[in-house]
This record gives sequence, structure tokens and C-alpha cells, in this order.
Amino acid sequence: MTIWNYVVTAHKPTNVTHSCVGNFTSPQDLNLIIAKCTRIEIHLLSPQGLQPMLDVPIYGRIATLELFRPHGEAQDYLFIATERYKFCVLQWDSETGELVTRAMGDVSDRIGRPTDNGQIGIIDPDCRLIGLHLYDGLFKVIPFDNKGQLKEAFNIRLEELQVLDIKFLYGCSKPTIVVLYQDNKDARHVKTYEVALKDKDFVEGPWSQNNLDNGADLLIPVPPPLCGVLIIGEETIVYCSANAFKAIPIRPSITKAYGRVDPDGSRYLLGDHTGLVSLLVIIHEKEKVTGLKIEPLGETSIASTISYLDNAFVYVGSSYGDSQLIKLNLQPDAKGSYVEVLERYVNLGPIVDFCVVDLERQGQGQVVTCSGAYKDGSLRVVRNGIGINEQASVELQGIKGMWSLRSSTDDPFDTFLVVSFISETRILAMNLEDELEETEIEGFCSQVQTLFCHDAVHNQLVQVTSSSVRLVSSTTRDLRNEWHAPSGYSVNVATANATQTISVRIFSLPGSESHHKGTIRNNRREIILSSCAFEGISYLLCALGDGHLLNFMLNTSTGELTDRKKVSLGTQPITLRTFSSKNTTHVFAASDRPTVIYSSNKKLLYSNVNLKEVSHMCPFNSAAFPDSLAIAKEGELTIGTIDDIQKLHIRSIPLGEHARRICHQEQSRTFAICSLKYNPASGEDSEMHFVRLLDDQTFEFISTYSLDTYEYGCFIISCSFSDDNNVYYCVGTAYVLPEEMEPTKGRILVFAVEDGKLQLIAEKETKGAVYCLNAFNGKLLAAVGQKIQLYKWVLRDDGTHELQSECGHHGHILALYVQTRGDFIVVGDLMKSISLLIYKHEEGAIEERARDYNANWMSAVEIVDDDIYLGAENSFNLFTVRKNSEGATDEERGRLEVVGEYHLGEFVNRFRHGSLVMRLPDSDVGQIPTVIFGTINGVIGVIASLPHEQYVFLEKLQSNLRKVIKGVGGLSHEQWRSFNNEKKTVEARNFLDGDLIESFLDLNRSKMDEISKALDVSVEELCKRVEELTRLH
Amino acid sequence: MDALNPSSSGASLFLANLPSRGLFSSTVVSSNPGGMRVYVCDHDTSPPEGQHIKTNQQNILIRSLTLKKQRGDSSSKDGSDGSRKRNAEKGLERASAKKTNNQINSRQEGSNSQTTTRDFHNLTVERLRALLKSKGLSTKGKKEELITRLKDATG
Repeated sequence: MTIWNYVVTAHKPTNVTHSCVGNFTSPQDLNLIIAKCTRIEIHLLSPQGLQPMLDVPIYGRIATLELFRPHGEAQDYLFIATERYKFCVLQWDSETGELVTRAMGDVSDRIGRPTDNGQIGIIDPDCRLIGLHLYDGLFKVIPFDNKGQLKEAFNIRLEELQVLDIKFLYGCSKPTIVVLYQDNKDARHVKTYEVALKDKDFVEGPWSQNNLDNGADLLIPVPPPLCGVLIIGEETIVYCSANAFKAIPIRPSITKAYGRVDPDGSRYLLGDHTGLVSLLVIIHEKEKVTGLKIEPLGETSIASTISYLDNAFVYVGSSYGDSQLIKLNLQPDAKGSYVEVLERYVNLGPIVDFCVVDLERQGQGQVVTCSGAYKDGSLRVVRNGIGINEQASVELQGIKGMWSLRSSTDDPFDTFLVVSFISETRILAMNLEDELEETEIEGFCSQVQTLFCHDAVHNQLVQVTSSSVRLVSSTTRDLRNEWHAPSGYSVNVATANATQTISVRIFSLPGSESHHKGTIRNNRREIILSSCAFEGISYLLCALGDGHLLNFMLNTSTGELTDRKKVSLGTQPITLRTFSSKNTTHVFAASDRPTVIYSSNKKLLYSNVNLKEVSHMCPFNSAAFPDSLAIAKEGELTIGTIDDIQKLHIRSIPLGEHARRICHQEQSRTFAICSLKYNPASGEDSEMHFVRLLDDQTFEFISTYSLDTYEYGCFIISCSFSDDNNVYYCVGTAYVLPEEMEPTKGRILVFAVEDGKLQLIAEKETKGAVYCLNAFNGKLLAAVGQKIQLYKWVLRDDGTHELQSECGHHGHILALYVQTRGDFIVVGDLMKSISLLIYKHEEGAIEERARDYNANWMSAVEIVDDDIYLGAENSFNLFTVRKNSEGATDEERGRLEVVGEYHLGEFVNRFRHGSLVMRLPDSDVGQIPTVIFGTINGVIGVIASLPHEQYVFLEKLQSNLRKVIKGVGGLSHEQWRSFNNEKKTVEARNFLDGDLIESFLDLNRSKMDEISKALDVSVEELCKRVEELTRLH
Repeated sequence: MDALNPSSSGASLFLANLPSRGLFSSTVVSSNPGGMRVYVCDHDTSPPEGQHIKTNQQNILIRSLTLKKQRGDSSSKDGSDGSRKRNAEKGLERASAKKTNNQINSRQEGSNSQTTTRDFHNLTVERLRALLKSKGLSTKGKKEELITRLKDATG
């Protein structure tokens, strides 16, 4: 591997952090805008539901998102502030369909302590100013002038240092904020201030309220005519205004999100930490508030945002589970819930841990993540490609071809499935019980192989064999007509359509080829041509006998072929078949590596299918199996449905509890997880921690080991020891006592899987939390608190085994992440970056070899190769360090040199070696080593080590792309990717942004030409090289 | 959770008449989250002129002190109008004063501008011009002319 890295997103962030509703894309359109950390999604509300419009990458982590309406405008503007203190105001230009920057700027201050409770960004309801609370003790104001233009920003000193929330009040003649804060005795109060724009200062506001609920941390401003503010606490909800104060007690809960239902602000939806959605009603007589009422409605995912859409439909965005579209019903269902979940939008975040496995043994990695938290915890199986969900299967050997036929021309469903073998033809049909059984069509010739079948008009069927063409009635099943091939000739290939004159064309292969002879070479055995139109573009696909596929753009009027591209799909001959799913046409390429070819964003994409070897496929849309495919594979005929056509396929396994660590054991074909279950019903702190064993096919719990009270499962691995042939699961735990800052006790548990059960074989107590475990030279290497400890596996006299401490290494703040390679140990420390240790066999000791002296707070480490180590730290950066073996002095050798730095903008929880895609030996990218990472926002990404020559080329491409592809809102890509933490900000180096580079393929031709000119490389060559990279993920 | 089983149809009462604008009205509400176009922004995204917003760099403490001082001044003197005028004057002075002129000096001058008429000769031409401009008078001519014009004006 190399130090030249290419970082690309395989799965985009799905954690929904903000959402808002307004007229953004036109005065008539109502839009839902969703922020997913570094992306915003714009949806259109329509009578049919949510229509996705645009997915917009933002060069920053979105801290606040607000829609507002400047004076005199007919539609809303979007205000975005990023965590790195940039903001922009965006307007939608409906004529060009572009996002126009209305204003932008940098709101950072040189001095100031960043707020603990997150950044606050609010806009005055009368659009007089934007307020930002970014640093403790400062309130930043960006005033609007009367034309709606922004003016120079200024800071106002805010006396309250521990601010929990700030909102603007409605209906005030001067812009007025209400501040919820905590004093130094931990009591919580609200206070109001008027913003005096002229004096650039606060003026004491109309009212204040002291000593609120100790858990109060959310303010909801109430619009006119009621005005005032709702203060949401953990035990009470208070309505407060200049002349009214109403409070009601509530069931103890932490409110995570709210959404206003009525424009007059009389009803609100509140979502709490257990996923319960309640309706809060302000009861009022005209403009006088007389009381509050709260009614629980039902359960959803744990909400991070709630947006009322329209007509009782509500969008619930979640950070801990899938986001949802729900409907509020007027009457409760059987369980008493008024909430009906209509749709779920997959969210992988937070990915706490994951492992890479090859469950189907196809040679392609799949990622199994521990996703979600609390009750929304789940495992997700993420694979590249498309899944076939088997509905039925029959054993049938030697299938040579398959066609589906209808029983009458106007039947919407297929009835017959004609299966052809080398010397016979069998017909399967759906019977009345909706089962597939063998039947006969008398008019068909069943003693020979069928070459082709098709429905014809007037309830007729066509069968083509090598000697004749038969026309058969589909109702009586009798032969209507037959045409015999002239003697001495036989039909090789046939096709037909349903037109009145049944057209059967007989091709001889060279003839069809001569049409495009110039372009097709290498046709060693067989060519199958298929032309099809995707998204209005016609293609000619041409499968070669050696597993290659050529595709051309086809000009349907001139018959001209352009843009020849060749991909390798496998090594066996390919047969192509079109099918449709959800009203779009796709092509199925049956071969030893079955592939679905489809088009997205006007590009052809190839997705492999989770089947091993498919010889034939035909669409079979029967009443019992709608939209299904009949698939012939080794000795078997399968009817199955196909997943949504998209690049990554995600299977969800809800656990109802929070999985924190996962590992796979090949030998026992199981997964083991460390998980915890919250029990909110039985009071505070009632968590139960488990080690659970799951079947790796069904994902069912097959065995559970409950940990002690206060004992957390911290790490799990599957490993074996020297002089012992068994494979074990080793679990590291910690006793997390409420009174201790750092655990002082933990355990290492060694389990064997016997008869599908977890059997505890050995346990070892430790003097601290076991944060990490590694199989190491036939022993077990544990990170225990501040120490690295090596245990050997010792056979006792009574035949049992025990873990015996061999040696250790001190000197860490907390050794949280450990990776090993040979005798080398790489440690990621809580706050002392990466250090390199070595195990010395002769001395039986672990010594430090080198360290990085930067103070990075680590979140994950991985060994890239012998000399290069990769780290992720808690300010969302990636960096690489290199061992300096050739250093002249000890001091130089003892220093890990930082060789790469990059701002990922994502908090990485885990790195693993592996790949999400099939590595075909003959493709260039097949040789590129990759590391996969998983993040809190649900991103799965790939880091690939590139050869230097390729890196240099792509770096040039990237810097040219920066000139062409601009950051939305004027945000700079260069600044966004620069390494940034509390200590320093430096330009990114030795990392490339694959997402930017791959967006080259989405550019229009003139922009491509511009870049091609600047680089002096042809567009075709550029496309080819970038497309190759897209095959990394 | 007992909270989920309201004894009366409590929530139904409040769930009536949810706002509707005719959206989500179809019987089959569906959405297709997969088919979202990724935005590639290849037009210029720099903001319009004057809308690249920066923060006022005046120290917040100094600003609040000057503010306090102004308030103090205006309360001790008769009209706030006068203090504002003086303020403008002061700003002008500061803008035109060279670094060699120390600020304390100019502030003293500013605060008792009424009494300094006879000391006009000690002032630079630039300063005199600034004073004239603040009074809305012509700033042309030699130093002597400026002084007489000022003297006339202050009477």
C-alpha cells in the first residue's frame, strides 16, 4: 500500500439532523428540506406523497438549517450555517433549476470558547436579523436592511454563559430573543432581551422567569395571536408570556424534537427519547391562553426532527433509527396508537461497529453494521448489488432456455413457463392453488429443444424449434399452423414479436455481425446482441463468449454506434435478457457472475446479483408471483422477486436493543454481538448487557450470555490460540460503576460455540476496562485501561485452559484502539494520537518503538501496511503516519511522521480492511487495496491506496474540478477538506476527495471538455479512468 | 406503557381538523427515495456584491464602554442630539487625524470644541477642514481664510 489515498463514499449519510417545510422551489411549491449532516435533500410535497427533487452536497457539517421569507419575496430562502463557522443564504432559481447564493460569510471569531450545547442559529420571524450563538457569552447578529440584504455582522455580549436554547419571540415591535440558561448553581431560568440594532447591544426584555424545571432545555416560540413561548422540561411544560404563565406536569421524558402543526401555533408534536410522539395543545379563548394539554399519540423512531407536512402526514427524521413518514389517524388502532407508519427511510447511523464478511462465499464482501441506538438498534447487511428474494424453487437439471407465456392476449399475468432442455421442452403453469406444476400444450413439440417462444396476437403462442415454427392457440392449446424449415437448413437463432404477421427472422451469426464488424473483435464463441433504451438513450449491448460485455450508444436513426465500452462480467458466456421492474427496463446478464445492467443519471451501471451462477433468466409475472423472475441456475429453477434497483442493497435486522460490537466466526457460521437493552419502564439506569450469538444466515439469536449488573461488553473477537485447535469468541468487558470516572475492573471472557450455544470456557479479571482485544501470535493482546497486556493460553493440569498474563506496556492515557501486524502493535490513544509498539519474543516484552507527538483524540486506527498507519480523530479528520525506520538518530526513529491529513467531516468509529465489490482479477482496480470505514452519520466509505502515478493524475483532475464544480453557497472545497481541529488547520495532503472526482461523470460535455483541455487528456480517457474508480465501491 | 392507552378518546378530540392544503390527498401515498438527482453545481456561487458578510471587528468591550460613555455623557448634558453630533465629529476627526496626532488630544478637543476657537492657529489645515466640513461650510482656501470662516461660524 501507499501513502496516497483516495477517499470515497459508498453509502451517503442518512442521519437526519434537521428538517423544515416551506415554499422553496417556487411560491406555489411546498417543500420538505432535510439535512443529513453534509447533504441537504429537497423534496416536493404532492398529492401523491413526497417527491424527491435534489440531493445537494454541502461543503460543511450543517449546524443550523432554517427557511425564511425576506420582505417582498414570494418564496422562502434557505439559511445554512456550518460547524466550521461558515454560513450561506440560498435561493432556488426555478428557471435554471439552480441554487443561487444570496449571501455568505464567515462568522468565526478569533477568540471565544465554542459552546458546549451546540451551535444555535435563528432568524427573526419579522426578518429583521439573523441571530447566532456560537461561542459562550457572545450573541452574533447579522442584520437585514430594509431591502432584505444582509449587513455587517456584530457580536453582543451575552451575560448568560451556559445557554441551553435561544429563540426569537413572535409579535414584538423590536426583535426580541428569549434565552433559556443555567446559572452556576445549576438552576434554569429564561430571560428576554431586545436587540437594539443601532446600539449593537441588548436591552432588558419585557419579562423573565426564574427557577424552571431542572431538565428544561427546549424553547418553542408561539406565533401570533397568542405569542409567548413554551418551555419544555423533563417533568413540566410551561407556557410563558408577558402576561400569562401556565404549567402542566408530564410523564418524565426528554423531548428531542418538536414540530408545529397549526400556523397559529395552537398544536405541536413532541418526540421524546423513547420514540413516543405526543400532541401538545395550547387551549385558549381568543388570544388568552387558558391551559395546556398533552396527549400521547404513539411510537415512531426516536425523532431528531419532526416536520408537519400536510393533511395529517408528518415527517419524522431520526438519528438513531430509520426516518419515517407517518400519518396521524383520528381514531386509535387496536394498540391505542394514533400513529401509522407509512414509510421508512433507511438510516444506518450511528454505525458503532461493523465487520466485513462473505456470507454467500461469492468472493464479494458484505458489511454487517451495528446500527442505530436504544430501541431502534439493528444490524444491517450492506452489500453491493441486487438481491433476488427466492419465492419458490424446483430441482431441474440442464435448462437451456426459458420463456414465459400468457394464456390469453389480454391477461395481464403470465401463466406458462416454457423450459427447454437439450432434447425436450417442458411446460410449467400456475394451477388454481397458485402452485407451479407441469402441464402440456398439445400444439407444442415437446420432444425437441425449443429455441424461442413468444406470445402472439389473437390468443396465440409461437414456438420455434430447429426444424419448424409453430403457431398454437393459447386457449385450446392446439396447433394452428406450422412452417417447416427447408430441408438441409436448420434454425439457429430466432426472435419474434406479437404483431399480426408473426415475424420470425432466421439469422446466421456472421450476417448479423457483419453490420458492425469493424468494432467487434475477439468473438470467440458467441455474441448476443440486445438493444435497449434507458432513460431515453438507446444502447447496444453485446455479450461475448468470454464473459466480456461491450456496450455502445446507438443512434436509432442512423444506426451508428459510438462510445464503445468494454467491461468484464465474468469468465463464462453471457446471455442477456431485458426485464422491467417498477416500470423501468433493465437488462439481466446471466453468466457465472450474474449482473443487472441499469441506468442512473444517464450512466450505465452494473450491479451484481446475489446468486452464484445463472444460465438463463426470464421475467415471469404471474398472479401469485407478481413482478418475478424465473432463474435457471445449477440444477435448479427459482422464482424470485428482485430488490429495488440501486447500487447498495441494505437488509435490516431490527434487534430492539443497541448492538455495540460485532464479529463473525467462519467456523461456527455465527455472529456474536455485545449489546445492551434499555428498560425505560423500570426506572433509571436499568440497562442490561448481553453477549449474543446469532446464526449468520437467519440472524436469529441462538444463544445469550447475560453480563453482570454494571458490566458493559466493550469488545469482541473470534480467535484461536497456539496449541489449541478450537476457535473461541473472546469478550472484553468493563464494570462501569456510577461513582467511578474510569472503570477499575473488567473481565476477559472466553467462549466456545458448542451445539449452537455459548459456553464460557475461561474468564480473567482485569484491572480496568478491556477496550480492545486482538489475536496476537497465538496469544491474546488486550488493551486494559492505560495498559497493553499480553495473555497466553495455558493448559492446566486438570485439562482446562486459562489466560495467564505474560507481559504488558504502560504509558497511555487510555489505550482505546489497538491493531496488530506481525510483532507490531499500533495503539490509538484517547488523546495521545498513535503509537507503535513491538513485541520482543526473546525478552517476552512489549516496547515502544515510535509515536506521533500530536495531541489527537483518536476514534479509530488501522494498519495500512508495515510502515503506514491510518487514524481518525474526534474533530472529524483522517490522518496517516509513517514509521521512520531509516532515521539517523533514535529521536528520528522514535517519531511517527505525519504523511497525510484530510478533513472527512465524519466521525469514524471503525476501520476494517476489505472491499464491498467483487475483485475481478483482470481489472485495474482489482489490485488496489482498500480500507472500509463506518461513521456516526451512517456513512460507509472506502479509502483506497493509489499508485503514485495515478495519485498525481487524479490530484490534477481534482484541482481542475474545483474550478468547475463550485461549492453550493460559495463554500470552498479546499477549506472544507483542510485538516482542522482545535490546535491547527492545515491544507489536506495525500488524500483525494473521491466524491468530487467521481462527480466528473455527472458534468455536461462542455465542462468535461474544459477539464480535458486543461489536463491535456481526452474526455474518453478521463471518463474511463474515473469510471474505473467508481468500481471501487 | 399505560400512557398509550388513554381512557377517553382524548387525542382524537385534538386531532381533528389538522391543516390541509390538498397535498398527500391521494389514497395511495408513496414516495421513491432512491431516485434523487445529485446536484452538481457548475455555476458561479460567489455571493452578489456586498453580500460577503464579515463581522465587525470592534472589540465588544470597547464598544460597550464607548456606548456607556455616550450614555453617561448624554445624561449629564442637556440633549442627546448634541452628543450624537459630537460623536459624528469625533468620528470624522479620527478618520482624518494622522497617527502622529495622538487621540487623547483630539478627544479633548472634541469634548470642548466650543472653547477652542481661539486656538485654531494651533490646528493643522486638515483638522480645520474637517471642522468646517462638519459644520457644512466650504473647505476651500488658505489656512487664514479657513480660520476666519470657522470663527464666523462659531461666532
